[in-house]
Amino acid sequence: MKAKEFKPLPAQPAPVSTIGVIPWLRNNLLSSPFNITVTVIIVAALLAIVPDMLDWLIFSANWSGETQAACVKDGACWVFISAWSQQIFYGSYPDGEIWRVNLSLLLLAGVIASSFALPARLRNKVSVPAYLCLPFVCLLILDGSYIGLKEVTTDLWGGFSLNVLIAAASIIIAFPFGFLWALGRQSDMPFARSVSVTCIEFFRGTPILALFFMGSVMLPLFFPANVSVDKLLRVWIILVLFMSAYMAEVFRSGFAAIPKGQYEAADSIGLGYWQKTLLIIFPQVIKVSMPNILATFVMVFKNTVFLLVIAVPEMLQVIMAALSNSNWLGGHAIEGYLFVGFIFWICCFSMSLLATSIEKKLDTSHKN
Amino acid sequence: MFSKKTTEQIECENRPSHLGIKSFYNNPKHRGWIYQSFLFLFLIGFFYSIVSNTLDNMSAQGIKSGFSFLNTSAGFDVLMSLLPFQTTDSYLKVFTIGILNTILVSIIGIIFSTLLGFIFGVAYFSRNYLIKKIAIIYVEIFRNIPVILQVIFWYTVFNALPIARESLNFGDTVFLNVTGLYLPLLVGESGSGLVYSALIVAIVSVFLVKRWATKRQEKTGEQFPILWTSLGLITGLPLLALLVSGVPFHFDYPALKGFNFRGGITIIPELISLAIALSIYTGAFIAEAVRAGIQSVPAGQTEAARSVGLKESKIMSLIVVPQSMRVITPMLNSEYQSLVKNTTIATAIGYPELFTVFAGSVLNQVGQAVEIMFMTLVIYFCINMTISFVMNRFNKRSEITTR
Repeated sequence: MKAKEFKPLPAQPAPVSTIGVIPWLRNNLLSSPFNITVTVIIVAALLAIVPDMLDWLIFSANWSGETQAACVKDGACWVFISAWSQQIFYGSYPDGEIWRVNLSLLLLAGVIASSFALPARLRNKVSVPAYLCLPFVCLLILDGSYIGLKEVTTDLWGGFSLNVLIAAASIIIAFPFGFLWALGRQSDMPFARSVSVTCIEFFRGTPILALFFMGSVMLPLFFPANVSVDKLLRVWIILVLFMSAYMAEVFRSGFAAIPKGQYEAADSIGLGYWQKTLLIIFPQVIKVSMPNILATFVMVFKNTVFLLVIAVPEMLQVIMAALSNSNWLGGHAIEGYLFVGFIFWICCFSMSLLATSIEKKLDTSHKN
Repeated sequence: MFSKKTTEQIECENRPSHLGIKSFYNNPKHRGWIYQSFLFLFLIGFFYSIVSNTLDNMSAQGIKSGFSFLNTSAGFDVLMSLLPFQTTDSYLKVFTIGILNTILVSIIGIIFSTLLGFIFGVAYFSRNYLIKKIAIIYVEIFRNIPVILQVIFWYTVFNALPIARESLNFGDTVFLNVTGLYLPLLVGESGSGLVYSALIVAIVSVFLVKRWATKRQEKTGEQFPILWTSLGLITGLPLLALLVSGVPFHFDYPALKGFNFRGGITIIPELISLAIALSIYTGAFIAEAVRAGIQSVPAGQTEAARSVGLKESKIMSLIVVPQSMRVITPMLNSEYQSLVKNTTIATAIGYPELFTVFAGSVLNQVGQAVEIMFMTLVIYFCINMTISFVMNRFNKRSEITTR
C-alpha cells in the first residue's frame, strides 16, 4: 500500500475586505435590493429637505439687530430671540436684581457638584442637608423681603430660570415624601399602607394639568378665608405631591432590587428599623434608582411647561406673550417654539445621556 | 420531661412588671398601632379643616353645592361634537360630549402612536445604517421636547395653511386648509346591507381559515398562504356583492360653497394637531419600549432561529417580537395611560375634550370647582382602569402563548 501523500488544498481567494469605506457602504447601506431602494429614497429626501432647512435656520437667517425691522432676509429671525432673551430667561424679574436669580442657579449647581465632589464620609452629612435647605434658601433670596433686600413678588418671577428652579425645588422636597410613601407602601401596617397607596395612585392617575388646575381653583378653597397662599407656592405644593408619587414608585422598584440578605443582615446585627432603612437600605436604593430618578426629573422638567395653562410666566408663556407684542407681530412663532424646543431638548437629552451612562456603569450582568 | 423550663423561660415569666410599658412600646406590632393612630388622627384633623374651610369659603363666595347644575342649560356652543348639540342643551350633555371627544382623540392617538412606535422600534435593529439612525433621531428628538410645545407647534403650522379658497387640493376629493381637513364621506343607499354582510362574512371566514390553517400546520407542517387568502377574501367578497347589488354607494364630496367647504367629513385643525402631537410624542416612548423589549430577548433565540433556517423577516415576526411582548405590554400600558392623561393639553389649543370643555368652560360659568373636578377625575380614572384591564388581559394571553 502506498503511503498517503500530503496534498495541500488549493489556496482560497483572499476574503473580501471588511474594512474601509466601500465595504462599509456595502454592508450598511446597500446590502439588499430593499436596502438599496430605502437608502436612495432617504438620501433623496435628505437632499431635498436639509439644504433648505439649513439655509432658513442659519445661512440666510437674521442674526444681528435690535428690532423687527432688522429682519430683512428670508431666513429665520433670530433677532426676535435675542431681543427678548432677558425675559425668556428671567421673566419680568427687575433688571438690577437679576444677580439673585443667577445666585440661586449657582447655588443649585454648587450643591449638585458638591454631592459628587465631596469625599464619601462627608457626603451624607453635608449634601443631604444642603439639598433640603436649598429650595428655602433660594426662596429667601428670590423673594428678598425677609433678608433685607428689595421684595420681588412671585408674579415677576419667570422665564427659563423658573422652569429650572421650580423643577429642582419640587424634586428635592419630593425626595423625603416619596421615600416615606414608598416605605408606607411596603410596610406591615395596614392603615399606613392603604394611605400611601391611595396617595400614590391618586397623584399618578391624575393628569398633571388637572392637578395644576386644582392648585389654582380648588386649593384656595381649602385654606381658611383669611389666609391667601401665593399662586406659585400652590403650584409648588402640587408639583411636590405629584413628584412624590412618581418618586415613591421609583423607590419601590429600588427596594425590590435590594437583595433580601441586606435586610436580614441588618436585622441580625441588631439595627433598629430606621437605622436599617437609612444606613443600609437607603444608600443602595439611591444607587440603583439613580437612572430612574433622572428620568423622573426629566419628566417634571418637561411638565413645568404645562404651567402656561394657568398663566404662570414660564419660558413658553413668555414666548407666547412676546409673539403678541405689538412691535413683533411679524409671525415669529416658529422661531420662538424652535428655540424653546431646542433649549429643552439640550437639557433633557443630556440628562438622559447621563442616566444611560450611569445605568451602563451599574449594569454588571452578562446577559446575551 | 416537658415540665422542666429553660432558664430563659423562667426569667421571662419572672420579669418585674415595671418593664411592662417599655416592653409594650418595644413590640413593633404595638408600636405600629400607635403610629397608625397618630396618622389617623392627623388625617381626621386634616380633612376636617379642609372640609370646614371649603364649606365656609363656598358659602362666603355664594357658590352652591350639589349636582343640580348639570340640568341647567349650557348657553355656549361646542367647537366639535360627535352628538348633535345646541346651546340650549344641558351641562350634562356638554360633559358627555367632552368624554366622547376625549375617547376619540385617545383612540386615534393610541392607534397611531402604536404604529409609529413599533415601526421605529423595529427600525432600530435594521441593517441599514440610515434607517437605524433615523429611528434613533426620532426617539431622541421627540421624547425630549415637552408635548405641550409640540401641540402648539403643530397648531401654529396648521394655522399657516392657506385659506379655504386656496386650499390644498388632493384630486378634488380631499382638501386641506386652515379650517381643517375635508374628506369625502361614503354614503350607503338602499341595498348596501348586502355589501356590509359580505364584509362580515369575509371577516368571519378569515378567522375560520386561519384556525384551520394553524391546525393543519401543527399536524402536517404544511403552510398555507393565510395573508393572501385573507386579503382576497376581504376585498373579493364585498366587491362581488357590490357588483351584484349594482354599486349602492356614492361619495359625498366636500365642495367649496361660499367661504368654506360643505359636505363630506370635516376634521378640525385642533383635533389634527392634538392627534399628531400625541402620536409622535407617545410613539417615541413606545419605540423606546419596543427597542428595550426586543433587546430583552436573548441573542440565543435569534441564533437558534437562524440555525433552523428561518428567514430574517420571519425571525423577527415569529420568534423575537412575540417573546418581547412580555416586556413591551406593561410599558405600553403605562404609555397609553399617560397618553390619555396628556389629552388634557388640548386646553392649550382649544380642542373641546373633557378637560377643556368641562373643567374649563363649565367651571368658569358655574364655579363649583369641587364637584366638577371630581367628575372629571373620575372619568380619567375610569378610562385608565379600562386600558389597564385590557392590557393586563392581553399580557396574560401573551404569557401563556409564548411559554
